[in-house]
Amino acid sequence: MFRTIVVACLTLIAAEVSWIALGESHDRADFTYVNPSGIHTLDPARMSWTQDFRVALNIWEGLTTWHPQTLEPIEGAAVLPPDVSADRLTYRFTIRNDARWSNGDAVTAGDFIRGWRRAMEPGTSADYAFLFTDHIAGALEYVRWRQECVAACTDAAARDAAFARCAGEMDQRFATVGIRAENDRMLVVTLAQPCPYFLDLTAFAPFLPCHQSIELLRERHEGAPLTAEGLVVYDPQWTKPDYHRNGYPGLITNGPYRLSEWTFKRRARLEVNPFHRDATRIACRTVDMLEYENLAASLLAYESGAVDFLTDLSVPYDHELARLAKSGQRPDFHPCVLLATFLLNFNCVGPTVAGRDNPFVDPRVRKAFTLALDRPQLVDKVRRRGDRPARSFVPPSSIPGYEPPAGLPHDVAEARRLLQEAGFPSGQGLPPIELLYVPSDERMCQAMAKMWEDALGVRVELRSQESKTFAEEKAKHRFMIARGNWYADYNDPTTFLDCLVTGNGNNDSGYSNAQYDALMAQANGTADAVERSRLLQAAEAIIVEQDCPILPILHYTDMVAIAPHVRGLHANSRLWFPFRYVSIQR
Amino acid sequence: MMLRLMRRILLGAVTIATVYTLTFVMAVSIPGNPFQTGERNMPAEAEKALRARYHMDNNWLYFWEFLSGAVRLDFGPTFTYNDWTCNQVIADSLPVSAMIGSLAIATALIVGIPLGVWGAVRHGTWADHATTFTVLLGISIPTFVTGSVLLIVFGVYLGIVPIGGWGTVAHLPLPVITLSLPFIAYIARLTRMGMLDVLASDFIRTAYAKGLPHRMVIWKHAFKVAFLPVLSYLGPATAQAMTGSFVVEKLFGVPGIGQHFVNAALNRDAGLIMSTVLVFATLLVVFNILVDLLYAWVDPRIAEAV
Repeated sequence: MFRTIVVACLTLIAAEVSWIALGESHDRADFTYVNPSGIHTLDPARMSWTQDFRVALNIWEGLTTWHPQTLEPIEGAAVLPPDVSADRLTYRFTIRNDARWSNGDAVTAGDFIRGWRRAMEPGTSADYAFLFTDHIAGALEYVRWRQECVAACTDAAARDAAFARCAGEMDQRFATVGIRAENDRMLVVTLAQPCPYFLDLTAFAPFLPCHQSIELLRERHEGAPLTAEGLVVYDPQWTKPDYHRNGYPGLITNGPYRLSEWTFKRRARLEVNPFHRDATRIACRTVDMLEYENLAASLLAYESGAVDFLTDLSVPYDHELARLAKSGQRPDFHPCVLLATFLLNFNCVGPTVAGRDNPFVDPRVRKAFTLALDRPQLVDKVRRRGDRPARSFVPPSSIPGYEPPAGLPHDVAEARRLLQEAGFPSGQGLPPIELLYVPSDERMCQAMAKMWEDALGVRVELRSQESKTFAEEKAKHRFMIARGNWYADYNDPTTFLDCLVTGNGNNDSGYSNAQYDALMAQANGTADAVERSRLLQAAEAIIVEQDCPILPILHYTDMVAIAPHVRGLHANSRLWFPFRYVSIQR
Repeated sequence: MMLRLMRRILLGAVTIATVYTLTFVMAVSIPGNPFQTGERNMPAEAEKALRARYHMDNNWLYFWEFLSGAVRLDFGPTFTYNDWTCNQVIADSLPVSAMIGSLAIATALIVGIPLGVWGAVRHGTWADHATTFTVLLGISIPTFVTGSVLLIVFGVYLGIVPIGGWGTVAHLPLPVITLSLPFIAYIARLTRMGMLDVLASDFIRTAYAKGLPHRMVIWKHAFKVAFLPVLSYLGPATAQAMTGSFVVEKLFGVPGIGQHFVNAALNRDAGLIMSTVLVFATLLVVFNILVDLLYAWVDPRIAEAV
């Protein structure tokens, strides 16, 4: 009987090993990199993760794109500079003659309108719809109308009438949005107010074009291009290169690369788009993106030579890697000073939180907690990854033409005085302070709690929640202090400062100050760059020196690993790596 | 026998339905918005519309919609991996886990059974102690430790296998060995215990008294009976091994289904939570029925009794 078992087991092993051996592929790409935690989506309208942007911006191309080193906007699918009106509100973009999709079709102004429209539609859009509603004339009104439509279509009582009205009026309403095609090669964009960084935005993923073949996969209800809920929905499989339902040709893109293969949680293979204007000049003809859930394993793969480039070195021993990089022992580990801030949000919404007193409605308490924290100590002794201690929301020396205010120093005596002034001498009378965070910030939060307890005599309760629950608690303002972070979307201080404007969807503190809002509005309407910068600085001073709705802790510095034989990759503040400039010199 | 089989299938269906109901209740009860993708907050209208689209605004309707889809083997969309359906996620990842799991179980049988028999036959000697000690190690050392050690030794220092990934024969040994170690230990322990019981039986003494060679007594007579506890264990063990291990998959970068059990819950991806749990429950039921059938084959008295 044992013999039968052994024979059966060996047969099984032999069959499975042969099966996998027959399917083996040994073609290594010219360049291989690891995209940690893989691709969430390749739909540019729904993207919100850096690793997704990285793939998208290699296979698509916006009106502009970014310089690989300086991150300045450079020519993409449109001719630069565009024709801009004297009031800086109207941009006329001419699409390049040689801009081509990966099937050879010419890229048209209509393709951009299709892409942009998807990115602002409720239900299709994700985190970045605000870039359109904030900047494009008429977009806010259109999106609000669409949200009303969707709400009406999901309301059982008025569903049918609402659906007919939405479907009938939709195109007419969209015509009022400041995006139109004058002809196939001329895209005219009207802004709601001057936007000095608009050419930076047009390189970003939500502003990518979309090939007309996607219309083959649009869902329809009662003959209208909407779902019964009033949503604009395309078959989510449209991003697959080998998806052919309804005659769909598979994903067509207009960037230097095209997606030739994508297997779930394994690999995405990019190949040069033969119709791209630079196709013959691109050295790496194939690029493999591998997925590793485990960053430590990806580092081992890099060390063994199987991988040429790692975009994330956040392993548990990353402080040791930072030390090796700093001492010059690992010149292939490159620090990237990010345009990003790790911070704490104080709850400014109301005097009680979940039935408990909330002392943080008083700006003096918020300021005291800010002054009591030794941020350089947190960076050097706790995190030890080479980040920069923060006193401002906008990272200093990172945005040309803008320098943030000095912010508050570490001053325990002043912190105690302020707390006393607020009616809490030596922390007496304060309820236990609850600090809400995600498990990855455990050590930092423990250290901060200890600092506050020692300096102010308060009692801090730590509440760790995994990320989805944390997000819900934060969105509903069920916290006293909650960790947060902000990564810049574009190269302008407003990418940070807009978050604290009254009613902004990302104003997690629930902060509201009319003076701050007025300064931000005034800056938005100011064409003079120096004056605008002064106004923004004054606004930022209110939040980091006076009212303190947030407590900036540090500005992130990440690390990437670039193998010595790789040329043309540059560490930068957005972790943006165009592969078209990469070459291998072994 | 057929009646017994029918009864088992019916009971299996009830088990799966119960598992589905319990999982559904938990999946829709946990806090968190499955549609939120990043740090930024989603407009309330869009969330409401998406919930309506997927019938998640009405739990009763969602329960039946998902169930009717699942019966037709259509598990619907995942909310985490927007570009993929639950069916695609399972179709891509289950064969990977099934391959590693089945290889691990096959390895465990080939190694574990002789180890257990050897320990039992040499009861009380150093060989038995060595077997018991090895078994204890196999059960107590977690896979993330054994896996990491194997990865560092064979992947980094010796460089004879790739560091993680999937798609070639070279990717197989480390995850298979890591996954098989606890199964080897359990199978060896069950075999040893079974053999010790059987070796003290009258029919074994009779076999020796008849002058049968030692080898034949052990493998032909004793082992057949001693194997029954191992066979019972094989049902759930195979289902467990074939539906992946989060630790082994994470450690070796294997794109199996095990990671989705954990990630789907963390991402509040109700569709994927229920799909993966249903796959696991179904495999568990199927393998237990198979074990029942094998039982009857190994020990005809069971079939006759029914």
